[in-house]
Amino acid sequence: MFQIYLPIAEISVNLLVMLGLGAAVGFLSGMFGVGGGFLLTPLLMLSGIPPAIAVATGANQIVGTSVSGTLAQWRRGNVDLHMGAVLIAGGVAGALFGVLLLRYLRGLGQSGLIISMTYVFFLGSIGALMLWESVNAMRRQRAGKTVSARKSGQHNWIHGLPFKMRFPRSRLYISAIPPLVIGGMVGLLASFLGVGGGFIMVPAMIYILRMPTNVVIGTSIFQIIFITAVVTLLHATLNHTLDIVLAFLLIIGGVIGGQFGVRAGQKLRGEQLRAMLALMVLGVALRILYDLVARPTDLYSIIPAVGG
Amino acid sequence: MRAAVLHLALLLSLLLGASAQAQDAVPPPPVAKPGTSQEKVQADISTREIAIQSNFTGVEILIFGSVDFSDTRTPAFGSYDVITVVRGPNKPIVVRKKTRMAGLWVNGPGKTYTRVPSFYAVLSSRPIRAIASDDVLRRLGIGLSELNFGRDTTGSPQEQSFRTAMIRLMEDKRLFTADDSGVVFIGRSLFRATVVLPVNVPTGRYVVDVYLFRDGELASKTQGSLEISKAGIEAVIYKMAFHKPFLYGLLGVAIAVIAGLIGWFAFRRD
Repeated sequence: MFQIYLPIAEISVNLLVMLGLGAAVGFLSGMFGVGGGFLLTPLLMLSGIPPAIAVATGANQIVGTSVSGTLAQWRRGNVDLHMGAVLIAGGVAGALFGVLLLRYLRGLGQSGLIISMTYVFFLGSIGALMLWESVNAMRRQRAGKTVSARKSGQHNWIHGLPFKMRFPRSRLYISAIPPLVIGGMVGLLASFLGVGGGFIMVPAMIYILRMPTNVVIGTSIFQIIFITAVVTLLHATLNHTLDIVLAFLLIIGGVIGGQFGVRAGQKLRGEQLRAMLALMVLGVALRILYDLVARPTDLYSIIPAVGG
Repeated sequence: MRAAVLHLALLLSLLLGASAQAQDAVPPPPVAKPGTSQEKVQADISTREIAIQSNFTGVEILIFGSVDFSDTRTPAFGSYDVITVVRGPNKPIVVRKKTRMAGLWVNGPGKTYTRVPSFYAVLSSRPIRAIASDDVLRRLGIGLSELNFGRDTTGSPQEQSFRTAMIRLMEDKRLFTADDSGVVFIGRSLFRATVVLPVNVPTGRYVVDVYLFRDGELASKTQGSLEISKAGIEAVIYKMAFHKPFLYGLLGVAIAVIAGLIGWFAFRRD
C-alpha cells in the first residue's frame, strides 16, 4: 500500500517506515544537538539500502536537520562565524579526500570493512569518554560541587602555534591550524561515514580548542550544513549514489522529529543527556563490532563490477 | 475461426521476427535436420514494455504460445517439450569471499565474471535434463549450470565454489530462477509460462527465447524481447542523477535546505 520505489537504490521501501526512521533520528538529533548521521546511516544499511547510497543519502538528510538546528542556535547568538569558516575550509578539503578514498576502497572491495572499523573506533572511544565524563559529572553534582567544562585562562600546547587568529564570539586568540586540522579530520569522516561528525567535533571544540560551551553546539551544527552539503554534492557527482526520493522522505521525517526532540531535550539535564547519548553511541559501536567479529551467515558476496 | 488463429499467428511471427532482428548478439537458431520435423513454435509475451514507476513492486509476465503441427507429417508421434529462457542484459559482477583475519571477517580478493545476465529465468515443461542432453543444453546456453559467465571455471574446485555461490546469491535476489514446471501445456499445442520480475529487476532489453524440443532434439525456436525501463518521475530522476549529477546534487541540497527552513519557521516559538 505504502510501498515506494527508490529510483537510485532500485528497491521498493515502505513510505511510512522511512518517514518514521527520519523522524526517530531527527528526534534524537534535536534532543542531543547532534546530526544523527551515526544512527541514520547504519539503520539505513540495516533496512536494506546499499551502503554507498546510505552514506550519500544520509549526508543529504543531515543538511536539512542542521539547517533548522542552526537557525534555532543562531537566534540565541550561539554561532561563531569565524570559527565556522575556518572549520569549513578544513572540512571541505577533508571531505573531498574522503570521497575519493571511499571510491578507491570500494574498488578493492574493502569499503565495508574500513567503514565499519572506523565506526567502531570513533563511536567506541567517544562513547566511552562521554559516558565516563557524564557519570563523573553526575557524581560531582550529587556531591554538591559546581561543574565547569571549561577551565578559562588555561594555556596548552595549542597556544604555541603560528597563524594566530581572533575568534571574538568564542573569546579566543589561537592559531588557525588546530581548527583547520580538526575540520579536515571531521570532513574526512563525514564523507566516509555519511555522518555530520558532530559527535567528534563537539568534544574536539570543548577539549582541544577550549571554546565556550554555549557556542560549541551552534558552531558545530552550522559547519555541518556546509560539510554535509559538500559531501552530498561530491557523492552525487562522482559516485551517483544519492537517492533524492529517499532523502526527501528522511528529511520530512527528520525536520518534524527534530523539533519535538529539541523540546524533549530541554526537559533533561545536560549530563543526563550526555550519558544517554553515550550509551546510544556505544550501542551502535558494539552492534557494528559484532558484525565484524561474528561469523557472517554468508561468506560470499556479489557486487556489480566498478565501471560496468 | 481457424483462419483468425492463423492470421494472429502470422502477425505474431512477423512481430517476433522483427524484434529478433534487433538482437545482433544472439546467434541464429540452429536449424533442425531437414525432413525430420517441421513443427513450429510460436510465442508472445503479455507485456512488451514494462515501466518502473514509484508504485512498482515487481510484475508478472505471461509468455504464451502454440506448437504449430500444420506442416508435420506425423504429428501423433514423439514427445514435445518447451523451454523458455528470459535473459536480461549482461553485466560484469565481482564475487568475494570473506575470510577470518585477526579475529575480523575480511573480504578476500574478488573474482570478476564479465558476462553475467542481470536476469535469467529458465522455465520448462519438465526438468530440462530430462528434456535434452547436457551437450544440447550447453550449446544453446539453457540452464544455470550451463551458462558461460565469461570466466573459465572448469577444473578448479575453488573457482567452482565461487561460481556456485554467485548463482546462489543471484537466486536469493530472485534474479536467477529455474522452474521445472513453469511451462504448462493446455491441450496438445497451447502452452503458457509465468515469469516473476521482482522489484529489483534491472532495466534494459530482455530477450525471451522459446525452444521446442521433440524427443530431445531442438525442433523449433522463436525469439521475442521486452523492454524494462524507468518511467515518469522515476525516469526523470534517474536520468538527471546520471547525466547532470552536479545539478542533481545541488537539487538534493536545495530540497534539504528548504525543508529545514520550512521546518524551523513552522515550529518556532520565539
